[in-house]
Amino acid sequence: MFKTVKSKILITAILMLTVLMSAFACYTIISRMKTKQLMVQNYVFSVDKFVQDINQKIIKYEDNSRDLARIGSLFYQTDRSIDLTNKTIVQIFENYPESLGGGIWFEPYVVDKSKKRLCFYAYRDKNKNIILDESFNSEEYNYHNQNWYKQIISKVTPENNIAWSAPYYENQGSYTLMITIGSGIYVNNKLIGISTVDWEINTIIDDISKMKPLEKTFSMYQNGNEIKNSFALLGTKEYDSIIATNDPYLKDIKLIGHSLKEIPWYADNLYGITYIKYHNKKYIPFYKTLRNGMVFVICVPKIEIFRGINNFYLNMLIVLFLISIGIPALLYLSMNLYIIHPIAKLTDIAHKISNGEDTDIKIEKPEEFAQLATTYDKMTRNIKSITQERARINSELSIAKSIQTSSLPNVFPPFPNETAFDIFASMEPAKEVGGDFYDFFFINETKFMFLIADVSGKGVPAALFMMTVKTLINNMSQMNYSPKQLIENINKKICETNKEGFFVTMLAGIADTKTGELNIINCGHNPPLIKRKNETYEFLELNPNMPLGIFEDAEFEIYNTVMNPGDLIYTYTDGVTEAANINNEMYKETRLHDCLNNIKETEAIKIAQKVKKSIQEFTESAPQSDDITMLIFKYIGGANEINGENEVNNMKTFSQFVTQENYKTFYTWLHDACREWNINDNLTNKLDMCAEEIFANVAFYAYPEKNGIIDVTLDKSGNNIVFEFKDSGIAYNPLEKPDPDITLPPEERPLGGLGIFMVKSMADNIYYKRENDKNILTLVFKLDEKSGL
Amino acid sequence: MEFSIKKSGINSLYVQASGRLDLDSAVEYGTKIKDTIEDSEETIKELVLDFSAITFISSFGLKVILELYKLLKNQEGVLKLKSVSEQLMDSFKMVGFDKFLVFE
Repeated sequence: MFKTVKSKILITAILMLTVLMSAFACYTIISRMKTKQLMVQNYVFSVDKFVQDINQKIIKYEDNSRDLARIGSLFYQTDRSIDLTNKTIVQIFENYPESLGGGIWFEPYVVDKSKKRLCFYAYRDKNKNIILDESFNSEEYNYHNQNWYKQIISKVTPENNIAWSAPYYENQGSYTLMITIGSGIYVNNKLIGISTVDWEINTIIDDISKMKPLEKTFSMYQNGNEIKNSFALLGTKEYDSIIATNDPYLKDIKLIGHSLKEIPWYADNLYGITYIKYHNKKYIPFYKTLRNGMVFVICVPKIEIFRGINNFYLNMLIVLFLISIGIPALLYLSMNLYIIHPIAKLTDIAHKISNGEDTDIKIEKPEEFAQLATTYDKMTRNIKSITQERARINSELSIAKSIQTSSLPNVFPPFPNETAFDIFASMEPAKEVGGDFYDFFFINETKFMFLIADVSGKGVPAALFMMTVKTLINNMSQMNYSPKQLIENINKKICETNKEGFFVTMLAGIADTKTGELNIINCGHNPPLIKRKNETYEFLELNPNMPLGIFEDAEFEIYNTVMNPGDLIYTYTDGVTEAANINNEMYKETRLHDCLNNIKETEAIKIAQKVKKSIQEFTESAPQSDDITMLIFKYIGGANEINGENEVNNMKTFSQFVTQENYKTFYTWLHDACREWNINDNLTNKLDMCAEEIFANVAFYAYPEKNGIIDVTLDKSGNNIVFEFKDSGIAYNPLEKPDPDITLPPEERPLGGLGIFMVKSMADNIYYKRENDKNILTLVFKLDEKSGL
Repeated sequence: MEFSIKKSGINSLYVQASGRLDLDSAVEYGTKIKDTIEDSEETIKELVLDFSAITFISSFGLKVILELYKLLKNQEGVLKLKSVSEQLMDSFKMVGFDKFLVFE
């Protein structure tokens, strides 16, 4: 089923589809991976940018603290000429509107040897008014001993170090979450105090939450939507505490100041690499350390990062899938339409033509097939005319062959009343018209000529030449020549008419039917076999003469012999001895000789049948390459004893209706005749049995419905009794009935069929013919010493 | 032809006939004998056909003999032909009947 072009194209298309699809699939997968990496990279940039922004803010806060420290330093160096208390601090805070408060704190006794504590602190009240708070100078508070002071002072060395406090709650009543940024006040590299700026952490968180770190991601996927559900965290690793988070799941829990580890999605050092799972959602964390040592983590839902990408690739896959199906399908369909379909059409047409149907060959497109169809049409018409021509030649050849075959005498026995000899001849033509022929005829009242010949070559010319030769011989033989003269004249005539260089090999015999004298002439032909009565067949090797038609003046030697009653001559053409089997072995003379000597029958027709059967068994299925022709002549003799007077006296006739009653009259007539001719009981008995059988047969088969007349003649001529039955009934040849198998066990033997078998066994010769609407059955019985007279 | 059928024992028949056993007479001859065998109360185990006075037998006669042979064989009996002349014997031999018939 995979042998047709159609299926091959289909397979190719499927292969193409598979290859295209896998290529597209690979491309999609790789490209999707790359795109994902690119998108994550893009986020990395966004987060970095965001962190830079935070750092900028941090710098601002730090600058604020430094500015204060610088003022502290100036205050010291100008020997307290600046009025920090009223104006300066306030002015500075006005420059930093986001700070809640701040101050300058000096070390003990640094500015004034008499004063241990000196600090200036201002803050914004609820109405954003800046108020100077001098209560920190009190002895009770003793800021030098406060933890925040100790922490900051310990962190601001060396100069320019910024100290960030741990986040804390302001305990002046508002309880807001605060963080303090401190700087050291240095004069001549000596630390003389610190400055502090307090920030409300919420300000920072507000800043953070206002930022849209992911605004400028791939515009393709962003669709202008805000990235939702991303969580941010600000914390300090140093104090392991959470500073701020906008995680909605955690908003009710006071987490500030708790350990970072309590945030489930907190990721240390993970930066856009892997994802974490939180509330059934996947997030990609981006971790960053800020310039002041704080840590910032933002967790973005994976789905937000890759929003659109899956849809995009799904769409892309569908498009690619359609393309990879579409291209092979289109290819297949067009192949089908333009190649397979015309081929199928042509095949169909060829099929119809081969079935002998008359059909138009017409294909309009595509161009190539249109041309092919035209050529095809032309070819078909040529083939048709060639075939018709060949059929005509074949029919003429077969007519020629049948003319040739029917020109040979083919009714046997040829002379039913002739008892002096028995002759049978047959030619089985090969496929082609061949050059074999045989013939026999009376030259005069007693001389009988028979001949078998083979014209060189094959085909129509040989057949035509054969007809000429046959006619010529027949005509010449009537001219009363001696055998030698006859054959030499025939040769001369053949030479005269032979312009094409044919030649003829021939074996001819001229027999005297009275005396049995036989002249045999062999003109380059196969030697015949002769069987003397009670002896075996032997080849008759004669001095070979020339074939006929070669030399006009050729002389021919005649062989003379005498045939005794029962003697037999078998003649044949090389088609017999050269009949070949499938292994190209020939039948040969030895096989012919052996075959003939194994034949017990002595009737000419039976001998011919047996030889033909033997040849057939030898050649089996091999085709017949040459005509197989044979002629058998058996001399019976006795004609010499016949004379006119006896002929009338020795003939008895019986003519009656075939009825049960007449049967008795019939056998009485037969017995009377036998008694008159002194025929012994044995033969009489045989004649009686045959007569009864034939009488009954005529009644049953020839006249099944009405009564009819049977004409019987009993003729004693010479050594023969010829018993002839004629009736005008339905054509019926009893000899066609198959012989019963007499070797069967009695239980299996059929009751019928015995009679005609017995007749055939008893008669020496038996013939049937249909002539003038009459069935004529002739039985011949031989008289010997035993049979009578 | 003339013929007579006699019982020669409890289950044996003896048929005496003279003349021609042919187209004319064979059927009657055969039918009579068959009827007698079939009508007999005892199963006939032996049938003897006396041929001493038979002068001629044709294929029709031979056919009847074969029929009788088969009939006897069917009831496990024997068909015997008595005093067959040499001439008639030839006819039996011709059709191969000599191979299975019993001649006395």
